[in-house]
Amino acid sequence: MEEYVKIVTRDRLYKDEMESLMTKFLFLEIVRGMRLTLKTMFKKPVTRRYPKEKRQAKPGFRGLHALVRNPETGNAKCVGCGLCAAMCPSKCIYIYTREGDNHEKVVERYEIEVLRCVYCSLCVEACPFQAIALTETYDYAAFSKQELFYTKDRLLKNWDDFMTEEKKKRYFESFWGPKTSFFRENESQATFKGKS
Amino acid sequence: MLNQIIFGYFAVTMISLALIVITRKNIMHSIVYMLILFFHIAGLYLFLNAEFLAAIQIIVYAGAIMVLFLFVIMLLNLREELRKSRFAITWPIGAIFVVLSAVMIIISVFGNRFANVGNVKISDIEKVGHTVAVGKLLFVEYLFPFEVASLILLVAIVGAIVLAKKEIK
Amino acid sequence: MELLWEISIIVIKIVVVVSVVMFHVAYATYFERKVIGRMQMRMGPKEVGPLGILQPVADGIKSFFKEDIIPLNSDKPVFYLAPVISIMAAMSALAVIPFFDGFIISNINLGILFILAMSSLGAYGIVLAGWASNSKYAFLGGLRSAAQVISYEVSLGLSLVGVMLLAGSFNLNDIVEAQSSSVFGFYAIPQILGFFVFIVSAVAETNRPPFDLPEAESELVAGYFAEYSGFRFALFMAAEYIGMIIMSSLAVLCFLGGWTVPYYVLYLFPFLGAVPGVVWFILKLYACIFFYYWIRATLPRFRYDQLMALGWKLLIPLSLLNILITGIAKLII
Repeated sequence: MEEYVKIVTRDRLYKDEMESLMTKFLFLEIVRGMRLTLKTMFKKPVTRRYPKEKRQAKPGFRGLHALVRNPETGNAKCVGCGLCAAMCPSKCIYIYTREGDNHEKVVERYEIEVLRCVYCSLCVEACPFQAIALTETYDYAAFSKQELFYTKDRLLKNWDDFMTEEKKKRYFESFWGPKTSFFRENESQATFKGKS
Repeated sequence: MLNQIIFGYFAVTMISLALIVITRKNIMHSIVYMLILFFHIAGLYLFLNAEFLAAIQIIVYAGAIMVLFLFVIMLLNLREELRKSRFAITWPIGAIFVVLSAVMIIISVFGNRFANVGNVKISDIEKVGHTVAVGKLLFVEYLFPFEVASLILLVAIVGAIVLAKKEIK
Repeated sequence: MELLWEISIIVIKIVVVVSVVMFHVAYATYFERKVIGRMQMRMGPKEVGPLGILQPVADGIKSFFKEDIIPLNSDKPVFYLAPVISIMAAMSALAVIPFFDGFIISNINLGILFILAMSSLGAYGIVLAGWASNSKYAFLGGLRSAAQVISYEVSLGLSLVGVMLLAGSFNLNDIVEAQSSSVFGFYAIPQILGFFVFIVSAVAETNRPPFDLPEAESELVAGYFAEYSGFRFALFMAAEYIGMIIMSSLAVLCFLGGWTVPYYVLYLFPFLGAVPGVVWFILKLYACIFFYYWIRATLPRFRYDQLMALGWKLLIPLSLLNILITGIAKLII
């Protein structure tokens, strides 16, 4: 038995030596590498030609901001509570409110300085009305800073432009959730319901 | 007539190029002029039907030896070299040797003017080709001197290795 | 009148060769980027024109109109001279290459030696460029190139000696003729050692990867032409690609049978005889150039001491052995 093992190992050693000699003299390693590159040449390239061929963002992607338009009233859902601006780590949300004719709170200006945004999505989480959303749009480069300063109208327009029917539906389903029905009951302002 | 004009051009250009080479302060520039000089030498060889010699002149002298020169010169600090004075302190000794060798060359040129034409004629060379003629002469008639010369080169190579290696096991 | 006729024929030949070669140089860059791109699963140039076919034209126009920057403390005459030497040495070697039977600008007896001489002169362009730029990177590139070219020229020349022995001539026309009448139809099989040494040294001589130490991007920015811009840079690039074409055509002529097809292939497929010789030459040339790109995409760059060790300790002894074997074989047969 022992002898047999010995013979086998010696055989293997001999074989290994032969192999290493072969690899040395016939450049087998280089040949192997060349074969690999040649094979790769006929594979499909992984390149995406960006401006022509855009990648579909995954659901939940944090892109350009949009103010949610209430599908029932057609106005912005924002009530100007200022929680998003308070939460924002880079302080890029500016909200100006005033008193309306019927003593209600009117959001006069709602502005986002997109260049300073870090896309943390904390504003979305902070908003009690789910009134702000991050769309899946990521290509909105511009030539001036002014173009990247989004006012309320533009943010609402973003919602119209980038949230297609399907996306809107998904958004409402996944983010509005149980709160939706809750807010639907209250047409006006959010009120503290207290322990009933 | 044309032959004389061509030879005259080569001779004058070569001598003036050689003068330019030794009077440049910047060694790099003199190397460029030396390169042109080598081309003229090769051209002169071509007019003597010595095409193999012309090719070897460019391959060996211009292509290898001058590149080695360049290699060494690039390792020098040229900015300091430019500031140094043109003549070393020992220049009178050099001048004596120059004068002596000039005298020797003049004597040998005038003494040997029409002697020893050699038994290989241009027509023979043209018949078999210059490379074949040189090869036959080198390896048949002058094999022994050729081997001796190569031995001398070998000695030089071994010497260089001995100098370069600090300790030989 | 006859002299005028001859001169005009030569001029026409020169114009044809230079324009065809410059076209090939332009498209060699495109081809290289495409091939290497595909080998790395990229796409290569694709934007300019259909499939990016006008990319070389765009590159040419760009290099023409770029600002020509000259370093302040550079040695101006040498700086101007260096790219000219490079391209002149590369271009003049084209004069002795027979592209097909009877088409050669100057059929001299010393074809191979002339090409070797010119390729060794190309080193001057590189070394002088490296020195004149007054930049450390360029300088190091120049130094490396000088040492590399000297050491690989020896093995390049020696590897061709076997071919010269078999053919008994330096003339490239004669070498091709001798090959077509030899046993195998081309010299790559009987001269397999010489062919191997030639391939490696030719890659090193043209400063192509994996021997591109003079222009190693990761260490020396762009090596010897780091300080060049605009059209002078383009001249260096063109010289490199012409050098590649010359080395490839030397391989085709000396080892792969030039414009001829081996007689046994013709015996098996007689219809191949109708294909003109220049097609065979160009196909073989493209294969060689593709090989250049292929190893560029595959192999990493050598370290400098490895390069020197490979040249002096492996290639030169191998080529000497090849000469010995060839000489003995020729004596016996």
